[in-house]
Amino acid sequence: MQLDSARADRVAAMVLFAIGMASLYGGWTMDRLEVRRIHPASIPGLVPMILGLLLAVCAGLLWLSARRERPAAEGGAGMESWRDAGVALGLCLVYALVLVGNLTFFWATAIFVASFVAVFGGAGGQGGRALFLRLAAAAGFGLASSGLIAVLFRYAFLVRLP
Amino acid sequence: MDRLTEFLSALAGFATLAALFHVSWATLLGIFVGSLPGLTATMGVALLTTLTYTLDRDTAILVLICMYVGAIYGGSRTAILLNIPGTPASAATALDGYPLAQRGEAAYAMALATAGSALGTIVGIVLLVLLAPPLGEAALKFGSFEFFWLAVFGIVISGQLTGGAAPIKGYIAGILGLMVAMVGSDGIHAHVRFNFGLSELNGGIGLIPAMVGAFGFAEVLTVMWRRRPDVADLRRGADRVLPRLADLWRYRWTIGRSGVIGTMVGIIPGVGEDIGAWASYAAARRLSPERAEFGNGSKEGLTAAETGNSAVVPGALIPALTLAVPGSAPAAVLIAALFIHGVRPGPMIMLEQPDFIYSVAAMLFLATIAIAVFGLALARIFVQVLKVPREYLMPVVFALCVIGPFALTQRLFDVWVMVGFGVAGFVLRQMNFPMPPLVLGIILGDLLDKNLRRGLTLSDGDLTPFFTRPISAVFVALILLTILASLPAVRRALGRLLPAARGADR
Repeated sequence: MQLDSARADRVAAMVLFAIGMASLYGGWTMDRLEVRRIHPASIPGLVPMILGLLLAVCAGLLWLSARRERPAAEGGAGMESWRDAGVALGLCLVYALVLVGNLTFFWATAIFVASFVAVFGGAGGQGGRALFLRLAAAAGFGLASSGLIAVLFRYAFLVRLP
Repeated sequence: MDRLTEFLSALAGFATLAALFHVSWATLLGIFVGSLPGLTATMGVALLTTLTYTLDRDTAILVLICMYVGAIYGGSRTAILLNIPGTPASAATALDGYPLAQRGEAAYAMALATAGSALGTIVGIVLLVLLAPPLGEAALKFGSFEFFWLAVFGIVISGQLTGGAAPIKGYIAGILGLMVAMVGSDGIHAHVRFNFGLSELNGGIGLIPAMVGAFGFAEVLTVMWRRRPDVADLRRGADRVLPRLADLWRYRWTIGRSGVIGTMVGIIPGVGEDIGAWASYAAARRLSPERAEFGNGSKEGLTAAETGNSAVVPGALIPALTLAVPGSAPAAVLIAALFIHGVRPGPMIMLEQPDFIYSVAAMLFLATIAIAVFGLALARIFVQVLKVPREYLMPVVFALCVIGPFALTQRLFDVWVMVGFGVAGFVLRQMNFPMPPLVLGIILGDLLDKNLRRGLTLSDGDLTPFFTRPISAVFVALILLTILASLPAVRRALGRLLPAARGADR
């Protein structure tokens, strides 16, 4: 997958054009506060309309500049990179959107950090013992770092943890 | 002389053990943050801001400035040793720093980088003390018309200079930032815009969660996306760890010129340290008798790049303090931190807190001394930092990204904002959309919106004053010139006229 490509730019241009048009429409239909007798030049939708129009124009220019296909950049990331980023994104989303708020901060963070280390720290040897040691190290690091962060914020910075 | 007295008086105010302790740990932490690939100065300042709520005003700003100065300097470690800039500001440093390291002069290269950074920051501090007060007083003459154009100029110049070969992407990033700022209550009639039925959006999108997401979470994903760096050849030869005074004297003009260029780049809204380093490097190469050495381990090139990026730090604070317009992304976070701690940056600062500018200069000076001491004394220890595996570092960084924004408002909603901006920031970066104009847009959105509508109300809907008032006319001319310079035909013509500049183009 290549996000730095003319094709990706064309897709982005379409999305940005839609956002621009949505902002223009949102600004146009926004309450003009006539009931409060404000000056017509100070309506709240004025700047969103201008920005929407500008974004749509810029999206058009981006589309035009992306028409000429560029050669793919050398040394682009392979599938391995995208897999790593995807797994990291998944772990982060589960932690931030699911675990935090449903578990105590300490346990949510310990589980997240330990899982992250266990998934990506796979450079150890083969076999059951090596796997056990790796998981134990991940769990230990998760508990220690989570405890440290929780104590730091709870007692040093007086933050009520989620 | 008055300014020197004010500066010395501010410096004396920080001559306490507690202040020196804060300078030490914050600068050291900043150097570590800057040294680690994936941790940027902006991320460091944003995360540290969330830890300063309980500190008093001066201490909080002091630790944030030390973090900023330390992180920009710390980026040179990885640039020299691994050919990977620890922060984007150090990309130019790698060009000559890494070849020097390959020749077995890594420690000396780090010493030169330290001296360059320290001297560059000092040049910037001098210019901060000289330029900020008159700029602040000049800003008192700004009305709604001028502030509107100032905001437009900031977005245009930032988009132009950070967009690289595609300024249109820089402009788009800036417009997206302005659109983000449109969410929530508008600044004139308190009418809620674009809250999509969510009451949490009535107050707008918080800058800190957005910044932590765009620079913290996005960076975590970028680090995991990149291939693992080869941390193999860390030459730890017995070369010097102190810069030779003869070398520094030989490069005195380069240091002075790079310091001035860096500071001036810093003053330009939303441009930042990397452009300061590249501009200084390009100027040094153009004027150096040793220009053939540049890119192959030139000590002058390394000094120019490091002096240039560090001088941007005080430069970026000049508009941040006097106009509330950040000169760089970390300065944008600093503005948010100033508001949190009860300082209102902008033209009124010279009336409300005229001594604050000198306090900031004193803080920068203390941070400079700290980077010089730590940089020279702990050169070999910093090498060990580079060995921290990403799989251990990144989850801890993300946990801090989660708890930091939450600590400010105690709302899980801000964590979701951080996540949203992180994912969007990662995708935009992969597509080569620059982040500084986006951040600047979020900061300047309110300024632009309020002053356009206020100006139109004052002129009863007449656009003429936006173009005929003297300062407004200058801004309009600058904006038009900037946009003209981004047109491909004009760029090609400029490239033919300035062939030397093309080589320095990233």
